[in-house]
Amino acid sequence: MREFMDYVHSAFYEATGWNRDNSYAALNSTPDALLEFPTPRGLRLTLSSLSSPNFATSYELGSVGVVDGSISYLYSSVPLRVAIESRSERISLPSLLRAYRPLAPLTELKSKTSALTGGQDVAKSSLLYGRLYLPQSLLEALVVKRISPALQVQFSAVSGAHLRNGGTTVGLAQYDVGRYALEGLASSDGGLLGFRGVYNFGGDAEPPKVAAPAENGNHPERERIYGRFSTGGEIYYGTLNKSGGISLGARFATLPSHKGTPLAATLTVNPLMGTISANYAVVAGKHCSLATRMEFNVFSYESSWAVGTELWRKPLPRLVDDNYGLPKRSLESKLKWKLDDPEPIKTPKDGDPEEYAGVLKARMDQNLQIGVLWEGRIKSLLFSLGSGIDLRKTDKPFRTLGLEIQFSS
Amino acid sequence: MAFNFNWSPLTADADFYSRARDLLTKALNKSPKPPIIVDDILVDELNLGNVPPDLEILEIGDLAEDRFRGIFKMTYSGDAYLTLKTRVQANPLNTYLHSKPSFTSPKPLAAASSLTIPISITLSEIKLSAFIILVFSKQKGLTLVFRNDPLESLKVSSTFDSIQFVRDYLQRTIEQKLRDLMMNELPAIIHRLSLQLWCPDQANKPGEYPADEVDEKGVDPFISPPDDPVDANGNLLDANALSELTLQGAGDAQSLFSQKNLLRLAALTDSHRTLSLFTPGIRDVVFRAWTGHGDRSEAMTPAMAPPSLSRTHSLPTGTSTTYTFSDTSSATQGYLPSRSASQINLNSTSPGRAVGTSSRSRPGRKKKTRVVNLRRSKSQVDSPIETETESETGSDTISEGPFSEPLMTSSIPEMEDEDDLVESLASKLHFTNEEKKSAAPTNQSPLSQPPLVPGPSEHTSSIAKALEDASKKLSVDTGLPKRPQAKHESSSDSSSVILEQAWIMKMAGEIARRVYDEKNRQNNNSNNNPSGGVWEEQEAPPTYEAAIH
Repeated sequence: MREFMDYVHSAFYEATGWNRDNSYAALNSTPDALLEFPTPRGLRLTLSSLSSPNFATSYELGSVGVVDGSISYLYSSVPLRVAIESRSERISLPSLLRAYRPLAPLTELKSKTSALTGGQDVAKSSLLYGRLYLPQSLLEALVVKRISPALQVQFSAVSGAHLRNGGTTVGLAQYDVGRYALEGLASSDGGLLGFRGVYNFGGDAEPPKVAAPAENGNHPERERIYGRFSTGGEIYYGTLNKSGGISLGARFATLPSHKGTPLAATLTVNPLMGTISANYAVVAGKHCSLATRMEFNVFSYESSWAVGTELWRKPLPRLVDDNYGLPKRSLESKLKWKLDDPEPIKTPKDGDPEEYAGVLKARMDQNLQIGVLWEGRIKSLLFSLGSGIDLRKTDKPFRTLGLEIQFSS
Repeated sequence: MAFNFNWSPLTADADFYSRARDLLTKALNKSPKPPIIVDDILVDELNLGNVPPDLEILEIGDLAEDRFRGIFKMTYSGDAYLTLKTRVQANPLNTYLHSKPSFTSPKPLAAASSLTIPISITLSEIKLSAFIILVFSKQKGLTLVFRNDPLESLKVSSTFDSIQFVRDYLQRTIEQKLRDLMMNELPAIIHRLSLQLWCPDQANKPGEYPADEVDEKGVDPFISPPDDPVDANGNLLDANALSELTLQGAGDAQSLFSQKNLLRLAALTDSHRTLSLFTPGIRDVVFRAWTGHGDRSEAMTPAMAPPSLSRTHSLPTGTSTTYTFSDTSSATQGYLPSRSASQINLNSTSPGRAVGTSSRSRPGRKKKTRVVNLRRSKSQVDSPIETETESETGSDTISEGPFSEPLMTSSIPEMEDEDDLVESLASKLHFTNEEKKSAAPTNQSPLSQPPLVPGPSEHTSSIAKALEDASKKLSVDTGLPKRPQAKHESSSDSSSVILEQAWIMKMAGEIARRVYDEKNRQNNNSNNNPSGGVWEEQEAPPTYEAAIH
């Protein structure tokens, strides 16, 4: 389950018109959400509140043998209440839990229509976030500052006694103009410097003037497959430990306006380590998404695979006495000596297609390690019940078991 | 002294290798591994090679059938090798992210993808140079501790030899781990092995015991290592004794030595001071006391000669070694090991010694040299050491030649005020060299000179000649009291001729017996210690020649 603060954090981006997914780091986010979702450990209770439009708090109490917890506060310079629904009984489950997310429209298109709060506020918007893990005395801090509509600076730090030098900080500068997005980062740990960028083309990234006639011309093909290509790369270098890393990646994902099956395919290559990874995520049915990953290393010939799925479940059909069993005949029908039509009875059931009771997620990898997660809502409580299962160890297959309960107002 | 390692049976034992492999595997996987090593470290091959290590005895603290304590110097540059197998993470970014909090992770997309590579690491060309403290007792097993970092150099060859970064990292990491292994794990392994061998009942005890042992042995020698035994001139043995005491703890010091021997040595030293006529019998030991000024040096001389002669055979081993026997008695009785004190003792006890030596000549008692100086050095230098070693009666410490070199130099100034004594000693000592030889005619009666000149090349004949010389010299010395030193020893002149004749007879008998003993000892030596034969072959006649006046 996404944490409430993460949910609020993304709401901040939504409110300020920042596209969080237009980044090389988020290239794989859709398959990752299906293949690497975390399963809860132990019992965890979260009490959260968006107490004012700009301020959110969250208290967490957990128990995995020992009781621990955390307190977190978040301040946003832009009011968030218009962007999200914070009450847990009315939160839209797909927006909170859905793994397969369709591509968000690019920022440049959005900036034209301006953000929800208006351009001036967006340019100066900032977010402060702090979290203290209590028994460990571990402190997390995050500052996000929007400098210009296209430039945003993030600064995150962790302070803990067990860390080397007492903590680490990472500074991240993001520059996003929609068609391409660049990020530069510096970490105090090992003097790591990083640079990554992504470039979009095709689909909505193309200028609408050019795209419109082409769309008209090749209408059947566009209809069959219509999406956006993104390609990018990243490079890291640790100035202190003289180590580095590099990777290249490309993604094709259909746009929400695509009429066919939504899908996202990613290919990442690490030329230094010889790892090729292919991810594929598809919305297989109305309530079902599937994802697969294949990895192959050309140097060590090691390969791995993983599959994941999510199944959305509708609430159990309410046993309404009127609609169940023998339908009562109306007076009219009785008078006419015939039965009522069944159609008017069915229609209220299909009324709200967004109404889901919960989602079941499952994943499995080549080591026969299975993760199962069931998330849903009972009245106003959001729950998440999950387990990690290792099929190789038949005597003790359940590695982890956990339940998270979250309430927010 | 040297060891002849029976190296091949050790290496031929397949069971030994499998056991050693298991123990090494356990030891290597015990401590948390760095994130670059992603799998267990398996010992694939272990070969001790054909070249045994060189072991040199620096000091023997205790020696008995069921226990042993000593300090060795070990150097090894053999062909042993060790092959380890494990899997390593080749992506540095992956290991970088391993222990970092996820909140500040740079969240790379694919740059941190893992690449685990099976790797076999061969450790070869291992060069070791270590000071080893070895304590063995049948009850407690064998404890081995390195006093210094034993690893001198090591070649790590792996599948990553072509990649500089990884190779350096592996070399560094493995060297570090191996040092840890040598300093901390190996003593425990050896202890456990020895427990399995000698006392299987103790081996089943909880593992706390070996750890405790390691801790004790590992810490104590470093806290108070036997500081260079060289510096302390008069305190040479004292320092060693102290170190031994600290090594074992003061309480254990007593139990390390045989109580019977302690009592005997105590009685012996008491006899020094108390003019007691009784000399306790100590097996395999010949006690020798030095007479000072005005004592019956003539009478003493023959008594001294045989032991020193018997020891000169071992001189040609190359390392001049000073054998000084334990100062346990001094430690237990508060004996002052300073030279002046011992000098006084010697002077005062010399009459008692004279009787003691005569009483020692009774048959059926096996005597061996107890205080022996194997130094091949100048007589002037040698003699103070002799007196010094004499002063330390009862200490059984063996200090190696190099260690005792500064001892000589430091003792030289001290002997200046004892020139006369030195002269007399030098005339009686039998470790003199060419310089002494040149000086000998002035000091010695001409009669004793001729038999000396033909240097006996063979051991037995040398002994016989020594006996002959000694007996001759005995007669000459007693007969000719006009020796330059005799002016200090006028008391010896006053001794009656009859007494001297009886004394000579006794001494002759004793010398003959001693030669016999010496032969036995030599045989034993050659039987027990294979390198004894080497010593015999390498006899150095010059030392020996000069020894006999």
